[in-house]
Amino acid sequence: MRRVIKAAAIATAATLGLVACGGGSDSGAGGNTELELMVPSYGDKTKPYWEDLVKAFEAKNPTIKVKLEVQSWDDIYKVLDTKIQGQKAPDILELDSAGPAYGKEGLLFKADEIVSPATLADVVPAFVQSAAIDGTAYGVPTVASTRALFYNKELFAKAGIAAPPKTWDELLDSAKKISALGDGVSGYGMPLGNEEAQGETSIWAYGAGASWGDGSKITVDTPQATEALTFMKKMIDEKATQADPGATNRTPLINVFIQGKIGMITGLPPVVGQIKEKNPALQWAIAPSPTKDGKPATLGVADYFVGFKKDGKKQEAIRKFLDFFYEKDNYVKFNDNEGFIPATKSGGEAAAAKPELKEFIDALPGAKFYPATNPAWSTASGAFKQLVGQIQTKPAPDVLKEIQAKVDAGG
Amino acid sequence: MIDPTAAPPKARRRKVTRESTLQALPWLAPALLLIGGVVVYPAGYMFYTSFRDISRFGTDLGWAGWDNYGKVFALGHLPRVFLNTAVWVVGVVLISVLVSLVLAQFLNKTFPGRTVVRLAVIVPWAASVVMTSTIFVYGLDPFYGVINQFLVDTGVMAQPYGFLKNPVSGFLSSAAVAVFVSVPFTTFVILAGLQTVPGDVLEAAQIDGATKAQTYWRVVFPMLRPALAVAALINVINVFNSLPILRTMTGAIPGYDADTTTTLTFKIIQGDRQIDTASALSVINFLVVLIVIAFYLRIVRPMREV
Amino acid sequence: MSTLTEAPPALSGSRAPRPTKPTRRRWDLTAIGGVIALIFLAPYLIMLSGAFKSRPEILKVPPTYLPAEWHPENFLTMWGTPETPLPSNLWSTVVISIGGTLLALLAAVPAAYFTARHNFRLKMPFLLLVLITQMLQPTVLASGLFREFVTLELNDTYLSMILVNAAFNLSFAVWIMHSFFSAVPKEIEEAAWLDGCSRLDSMRRIMLPLVWPGIVTTVVFTFIACWNEFAASLILLPTDTNQPLTVALTKFVGQYDSAWQYVFAVSIIGILPVVILFALIEKRLVAGLTAGGVK
Repeated sequence: MRRVIKAAAIATAATLGLVACGGGSDSGAGGNTELELMVPSYGDKTKPYWEDLVKAFEAKNPTIKVKLEVQSWDDIYKVLDTKIQGQKAPDILELDSAGPAYGKEGLLFKADEIVSPATLADVVPAFVQSAAIDGTAYGVPTVASTRALFYNKELFAKAGIAAPPKTWDELLDSAKKISALGDGVSGYGMPLGNEEAQGETSIWAYGAGASWGDGSKITVDTPQATEALTFMKKMIDEKATQADPGATNRTPLINVFIQGKIGMITGLPPVVGQIKEKNPALQWAIAPSPTKDGKPATLGVADYFVGFKKDGKKQEAIRKFLDFFYEKDNYVKFNDNEGFIPATKSGGEAAAAKPELKEFIDALPGAKFYPATNPAWSTASGAFKQLVGQIQTKPAPDVLKEIQAKVDAGG
Repeated sequence: MIDPTAAPPKARRRKVTRESTLQALPWLAPALLLIGGVVVYPAGYMFYTSFRDISRFGTDLGWAGWDNYGKVFALGHLPRVFLNTAVWVVGVVLISVLVSLVLAQFLNKTFPGRTVVRLAVIVPWAASVVMTSTIFVYGLDPFYGVINQFLVDTGVMAQPYGFLKNPVSGFLSSAAVAVFVSVPFTTFVILAGLQTVPGDVLEAAQIDGATKAQTYWRVVFPMLRPALAVAALINVINVFNSLPILRTMTGAIPGYDADTTTTLTFKIIQGDRQIDTASALSVINFLVVLIVIAFYLRIVRPMREV
Repeated sequence: MSTLTEAPPALSGSRAPRPTKPTRRRWDLTAIGGVIALIFLAPYLIMLSGAFKSRPEILKVPPTYLPAEWHPENFLTMWGTPETPLPSNLWSTVVISIGGTLLALLAAVPAAYFTARHNFRLKMPFLLLVLITQMLQPTVLASGLFREFVTLELNDTYLSMILVNAAFNLSFAVWIMHSFFSAVPKEIEEAAWLDGCSRLDSMRRIMLPLVWPGIVTTVVFTFIACWNEFAASLILLPTDTNQPLTVALTKFVGQYDSAWQYVFAVSIIGILPVVILFALIEKRLVAGLTAGGVK
């Protein structure tokens, strides 16, 4: 059947005199290995960085060819799923916590198989463990970040607020004062649109001491989470947030903060660079994420490299490439470009020297990660994105139940 | 054939029929090859996937029977989604066709600058639908949206409104954009149809003393029918399967109150990562379109014999 | 076109010679036409204005209607950004669109002609089969297409997308051409046969000029559909230099921050060729008009 289709397709093309163009893979020559590298785009510096790195790597290792594919975060999952389904997974993949989860199905090399022991020893152990499945790590962290509260000092002064809020009650109070200033200004920016709703929700839930479960079971409708969502709803009902938080996406809302129209918003390291570029005049500062009773807690997030096993022949080449990436200069440059916190000890020392990253590094000990070790988390995360915004109109416990039902159905 | 004298034209036609089936092949071959080579495989694969149990990472875990279809029908929001789909298709296609009939009639008149106006009308069609939707998302944003700002500056609204922040206004805004991007194509097909109306027929009608309305409905409109029927047909299918507008414009709205079957399929792939359930829904969607189109063909008969 | 010489081109459009009235009414129509044009252009004017803005200004609160600072260089710098090789992307789009359109037309015209002229047992099944290809949702088909082209070793080639575009636009081409062929009275053709024209001759000399508006419609429709295709290209063309403009646009969208000025500028550039194509072909539509009214 395949041959018939192929013959038909080629015949159709040939009769009409069409010529196939584009890259044919010429990997056959004398022991050369071709590595397919797929990475997401963080911003406009991502692709040039990888192109330079690949060039430098190929110069050092002439027998290995690296084929780079950069995808936007919007599209990478779809492209990847299609490739995996078609048995054409990339050899090396950088992704969020969804990457290491592929290990559950035996598709991946273990972390210690794709980097040298020296490289692995340099990575902060907490990050490696953050994505371990049943005690086995498959992903090697590339970038890390925590969340913190960005606030507008000018609006704080106008509203007569002395210090950034530490507890939820203080947050509500401050936000209401800022909202009362009028002129299109909102107190707290709460993005619950589908882009990153699971992030905002997790910060609140972690602030109440909740967790989303562990490697074996995902539980979202806990009393702590209910408490957190109920308070979020209170923020919305008392007009402490911007209008329509349920359908507001994160990226545009952070921009509104940068433009000076929002008092407080949860942000991550790259926002620092964005403020500098877009509105350097903004009077801003960073404080730890407020929690229910002021005890430090926030969300930690990391992205990871994983290696797809396939027939196992490319392991050595993968290791060479990743070791090259984790060489201090290459690695620090990557994190500098994207504005994240390095996940290696040597990289961390370099980053600690930067004042704008201080709040984020300080938050690391109290940071809780997504339970990405459980493959069901991707279902839960998708359900949060699609459904949690409904707290604007529905009771919080109902919304949590609906999400829990999705998680349970997804199995 | 029994009584050769009875109906000679019919008999002749039947003979032609038998010969033609073989004759047809060379004429149809290129089209058949293309369809067989490119469409049949993925369509078959979709059908196959809908009966498989595919893990959320794309690993095939074996036969699933009717489970995926069961999952689709167990979705609590399915009735609302089907209702939305019906409103979406009927509303968008009907309004598009009505607007296009008027617009095509206008663009068929001769006036200075007609070419420029025709070119302007073509632009929403020329632009990619994703971009057109994106520009509306950008323009309708309550904070930095130019359209919102314009409505406030001209006094139409007292303050910016979050058009895309709740299901009803988000759905209606999307439908308006869908009409906006469907009208150029529909207008153009009708305009092409108007070219086939011979001028002397119109003159004859005028000489006979027909009013403008009479001329239009009795002479012009019947001749437009084939083109219009095809345009509406293509519109129904395209609007049914239209993903980018709703995904871009209402994607941020929580829940499923603004979804059609097409965007729901997308959410099941992207959000729930269940390609198998999505395939089942896609098969169901395909069957629904098939039934709708079958009715359409029966009633409108765009292929009636000449 | 031979038909152009048969009808006086100057008269195209206004057939009834009523000398005084039109001149007065025409300018009213132009005014109405202007309003219509503005409505259809409005969103793209927002886009155009955005393409001239600086990156920070695009997301300013409150927004500016026109750029406070004009940055026409966006239209130059976009060709050399690190995100995507735009000249190659434009070239890919052109090759794929022209190839897809031609292939669709070549496959559709004979089929449409034959089905319009002849009755045979499998005619309706054939036309329905063609129509069914249009009813499938591309989102779900993409994974099957990927598998198919990987096994054919055609993925990451222009040819794969030319075939996909031609196949998925075939139904429109067949159906619209069918309706136009059907509208031509059989007698015209039969007269040509009596004059000794072969079937191909009569198709070329008589039929094609008569159905010219249909061909124009088909070309414009198919070309635009190919030009804006996204879902399959995203999956089938991983190499950045092979990707069309629609996929290239996504490269300007970052995780937290997007280069909207380039997204808008590239979109504008993407619209222009289609409008130019239409401007060129619109005259042919008028030529078709006179041809349709010849006899």
